[in-house]
Amino acid sequence: MCKIMSLFLTLVFAFFPLNFSAHAAKKEFIFGLLLVGPYNDHGWSQAHYEAAKAVEKELEGVKLLYIDKVNPADRPGVTIPQLVDELVSKGAKFIIANSDDMKDGIREAAEQHPDVYFLHISGDDVLTGKAPKNLSNLMGKMEYGKMMAGFVAAMTTKTGKIGYLGPLVNDETRRLAVSSYLGAKYAWEKVLKRDPKKLIFQVSWIGFWFNIPGVTADPTQVTQNFFNSGFDVVISGIDTTEALVVAGQKRKEGKNVWAIPYDYKDACNEAPEACLGVPYFNWKPGYIHFVKSAMNGNWRQEWLWLEPDWHDINNPDTSSVGFTPGPALKPEVKKALAEFQKKLGDGSLNLFVGPLYYQDGSVFLSKGEQATDTKIWYMKQLLKGMIGPSSAK
Amino acid sequence: MKITDWVIVILAVFSVTTVVLFLVGAPPIDAYMLIFKGAFGSWRHFAQVLNVWIPLVICSCGLLFTFNMGLWNIGVEGQIMLGAVGSTFVIKACSSVFSPSLILVVAGICAILGGALWAVAAGFLKIRGNVHEIFSGLGLNFVAQALILWLIFGPWKRPGIASMSGTEPFPKSLWFPVPAGWRVSPFMIGLAVVLLLATAKVLQATRWGLVLKALGSNVKAAGVYGISVNRNLFFAMLCAGAFAGLVGFFQTTVIYHRLIPAISSNYGYLSLLVVMLAQYNWKPVPFIALLFAILQVGSIQLPLMLRIDSSLSGVIQGLLVLTAIGVMYARRRS
Amino acid sequence: MDVELKHIHKYFGPVHANKDISIKLSSGTIHGILGENGAGKSTLMKILAGYIPCSSGQILINGIPVKYSTPTEALKYRIGMLYQDPLDFPALKVLENFVLGIPDIPFLNSQKSFKKMFHDLCRQFGFSIDPESSVRRLTLGERQQLEIIRLVAAGASLIILDEPTTGISVAQKETLFRALRFLADEGRIIVVVSHKLEDVMSLCDVVTVLGQGEVVGEVVQPFDPNELLRLMFKEIPAPVPRCTLKCGHPLLWMDRVSAPGGRCGLKECSFTVKEGEIVGLAGLEGSGQNLFLRVASGLVEPTRGEIYLGKEKLTHKGRQVFKNKGICFIPTDRLAEGLFPDLTVSEHFVLTKFDDSFFIPWDKVEQVSVNNIIKFSIKGDSNSKVSTLSGGNQQRLLLSLLPQNPKLILLENPIRGLDVESSSWIWSYLQSFCLKGTAIVFSSSDLDEIFGVAHRIVVFFDGKIVLDSPLEEVSLEEVHQAIAGVT
Repeated sequence: MCKIMSLFLTLVFAFFPLNFSAHAAKKEFIFGLLLVGPYNDHGWSQAHYEAAKAVEKELEGVKLLYIDKVNPADRPGVTIPQLVDELVSKGAKFIIANSDDMKDGIREAAEQHPDVYFLHISGDDVLTGKAPKNLSNLMGKMEYGKMMAGFVAAMTTKTGKIGYLGPLVNDETRRLAVSSYLGAKYAWEKVLKRDPKKLIFQVSWIGFWFNIPGVTADPTQVTQNFFNSGFDVVISGIDTTEALVVAGQKRKEGKNVWAIPYDYKDACNEAPEACLGVPYFNWKPGYIHFVKSAMNGNWRQEWLWLEPDWHDINNPDTSSVGFTPGPALKPEVKKALAEFQKKLGDGSLNLFVGPLYYQDGSVFLSKGEQATDTKIWYMKQLLKGMIGPSSAK
Repeated sequence: MKITDWVIVILAVFSVTTVVLFLVGAPPIDAYMLIFKGAFGSWRHFAQVLNVWIPLVICSCGLLFTFNMGLWNIGVEGQIMLGAVGSTFVIKACSSVFSPSLILVVAGICAILGGALWAVAAGFLKIRGNVHEIFSGLGLNFVAQALILWLIFGPWKRPGIASMSGTEPFPKSLWFPVPAGWRVSPFMIGLAVVLLLATAKVLQATRWGLVLKALGSNVKAAGVYGISVNRNLFFAMLCAGAFAGLVGFFQTTVIYHRLIPAISSNYGYLSLLVVMLAQYNWKPVPFIALLFAILQVGSIQLPLMLRIDSSLSGVIQGLLVLTAIGVMYARRRS
Repeated sequence: MDVELKHIHKYFGPVHANKDISIKLSSGTIHGILGENGAGKSTLMKILAGYIPCSSGQILINGIPVKYSTPTEALKYRIGMLYQDPLDFPALKVLENFVLGIPDIPFLNSQKSFKKMFHDLCRQFGFSIDPESSVRRLTLGERQQLEIIRLVAAGASLIILDEPTTGISVAQKETLFRALRFLADEGRIIVVVSHKLEDVMSLCDVVTVLGQGEVVGEVVQPFDPNELLRLMFKEIPAPVPRCTLKCGHPLLWMDRVSAPGGRCGLKECSFTVKEGEIVGLAGLEGSGQNLFLRVASGLVEPTRGEIYLGKEKLTHKGRQVFKNKGICFIPTDRLAEGLFPDLTVSEHFVLTKFDDSFFIPWDKVEQVSVNNIIKFSIKGDSNSKVSTLSGGNQQRLLLSLLPQNPKLILLENPIRGLDVESSSWIWSYLQSFCLKGTAIVFSSSDLDEIFGVAHRIVVFFDGKIVLDSPLEEVSLEEVHQAIAGVT
């Protein structure tokens, strides 16, 4: 057996001179990207992947190294610090971790590599002071995107029943579900002027950002349950497009239902005829900001929560959050949406204004009170009027 | 198997893998190079290999006991999970009461008990219910997985959060100590080596080891010799479960520092392959485990550098076992 | 068809089981293969039938060398073998088994035509088997008949029988011999492997004697028994003396014991054996005698009744307790139930003679096993796996594993398949135990053996004890009647 092992090793060593190099001869700046899902998931991870690709193309001398499906179910035994070691040994000077789930791992890795810069997407380690100096946070103000999603959902629904396909439960996901609800409520009560009691807004959580068979609830199943029990619009809060796919199937069966996917600007392509639109992230402006500061050596620890560019929320170079209207959106709703967007943009409309109450009846915002960023960021419960658990059972 | 057989096996696997690589359009030599460099490129890489090698060796040692007796302890996955649950339980329950080192020791013991309990459950079903250990093992694996999910989503959820991603990480003081710059615990390497040698000693030099081998050879003759099948089955399962539980402890306190749904990293199933490839003999185990660990760790380079799926390492591991079995069969026929 | 074996060699690891064997088998003859156990008979026949490949040498059919590596391929060359334990599917019906055993049947379309074929063959050979009964219910002799019919229907021109007269009744033996003679007269070759001189002499035309893996002689009719014996053994064995000790106190007492298992279970059996007594159990195969031995040894738990050793109740105590009290059991099927095939000779001594050691004292074990190998003249060394030993040597090994002073030795067909020399050696060794007061209970399908060595005979029929008598008080006639269930 020993002999075999040595034979094996010599064999491999024999190929050693053929060594091809990852860090090419010319000086380049390498940045790494850890994607939680597949790079082509039509959702969260693809949005990140495309932004990183765009950065690679736009900035001279910048090279991207990425690895996708970084989660213990897809890559058993592989840890975040291990992958960071890997990227660093390949020459990466700046590393992005794109999932909330990587929070602890990326912090550990940042502590191990003080000479490398890190960016954790959607985290708050900078706010809480847990982060070392070389770790920053980035997020887009998706609240606005979700408000638009809620708005078109309420404008479109025939039954008055809107389903929200939630991932796991935390501050971020509660915040986004609440934003969707506020958008829907506004459309229902202020635009359509219908009876507030007739609007049903229900949240179902699957337990993770995407389906892990046997571990999470199956999003396909959950969506079907919504459609089968009278809901006709489902807003997706998860990284992948099951809600839209199911809606497309139901339409083929003759049911008049719609869905609103999430995360990625071309997500509607999966089933355009059922798609009311998609609120999406555009990570490019944020990425470019951090890559540049890491390259130029003027890095500064930041917690960035980037707004849409209200002049043109779909501008890929300036707007961090956008909303692509879907093919299924009716013209009159589209017009109402433009109006809604305008009001949000010029500040004449703020949906996070009191009185608003948490699910348990306690006060979230007292009458006339405008919510601060921190108050919105740390959303402790769903709001009164929404159906569904605010935390795990 | 003789040395020549091993050469045949490895050459065969290499050629099939090369064909597979050609088919997916990857340059085979680069792929092998990457795997190799991904495993030996630096101390960090090799430390990573050792972090896979340790659980594979420990788990394989436990499986040697059951395999020698002719038992198919498929339930080893669940036994690892229960070990992880056991150690997490202690760390959650006692973190404020005792000193960290004491907690880690208690967590280790509790992990061993957890794994052993799960193994003994399969043994009990076999003895009392006459349920084949493959079926009970598979069933108990599912139950263990469900238990972990329930714990993560329920009693051990992170405050204010409901996510399947795992429990709150343990406080740093309760991470199993790893010397700065090492990335792998020398204590655990030592432990794996000691356990391997102890297993070898027990199986080769003690009467009990021989009894297990005898039962593996012919269970029906046991009665004539007054050897109790049930008692030995119980103890063999107990050993396998205890070793697997230790792997669960390793995974939670050394690698992940929390409980996650995929805590076992499939090392149980991988160890079954290791021991089968070793033909239930202890001597090849550390080498095969090393080869598997190299593949496991090195193959992460494939998606990173060549954009091909890292499950190729799984293909190579499976091919190794299948070809080895083929060669053994061919030997026996001639 | 003429078949010739030329310079056949077979190695099992270091063991040279067949050494340069050349035999001509000619059409129309019944060819006997005679030899001591471990002489290489079974190995040679397995090579001829395609169960195992030879290490070197050739098989020629009508002068043309042929190669085959499975029994199915051998059957294509019209060579078929009956096994000591017929290989069939016990759960199936006789007719199904018959049909399955014939290779290359195009379709299973005509049950009727097969039934007719089966009936014709049965009539031809004077066999009487019910095609609708399940194979499990057949006696050993009937299974043998089924196998012969199957081979004939499959077109075998060379039929090999390994110890065909073991375990079948006298009437069945006569039928068998008539059928074999008939088949030979039709031009087939019949090869009979046996250690029973009497059978070989009355049946065969030619006899090849093997010894130590080599051909030691070939003899044709008429045979001289002394010549054959001389060829088989260097010296002719003396008949076994009967142990003459007067029997002592009652040792094992079974009170109305019933147990499930076998073909008919065990029904309300009461039985006592005294110290130093030798009891032979007779009966048709599967009448309960072997189940009785398993109950007495603690391997099978009785459903009703009690078992006492002296004054101590042993019922439901489990095999370990029985064993610790000095009750030993040696089953017939040595490799399946008595030994661990993958373990070496010395490892067996560790399991039986080194109960108290945690670590194995290999020096001492080696010493013990070498001593026993010499004492029991086992052909093999302490590191041979027991599966490579021949049947006789396995039996000797089992005897050498017995403790120093057992209270009771239970044996199932102790000399089945063994040659005269081994048998006589084994019985003289067993009788040395009786002189020390050990009781021996054994089952045998050979009444000569029981009448030769036992003090008492117990006959089983349909799971019940139908006769229990000292040998001097019973006639052979009465025993025959009891075995057949005539009362």
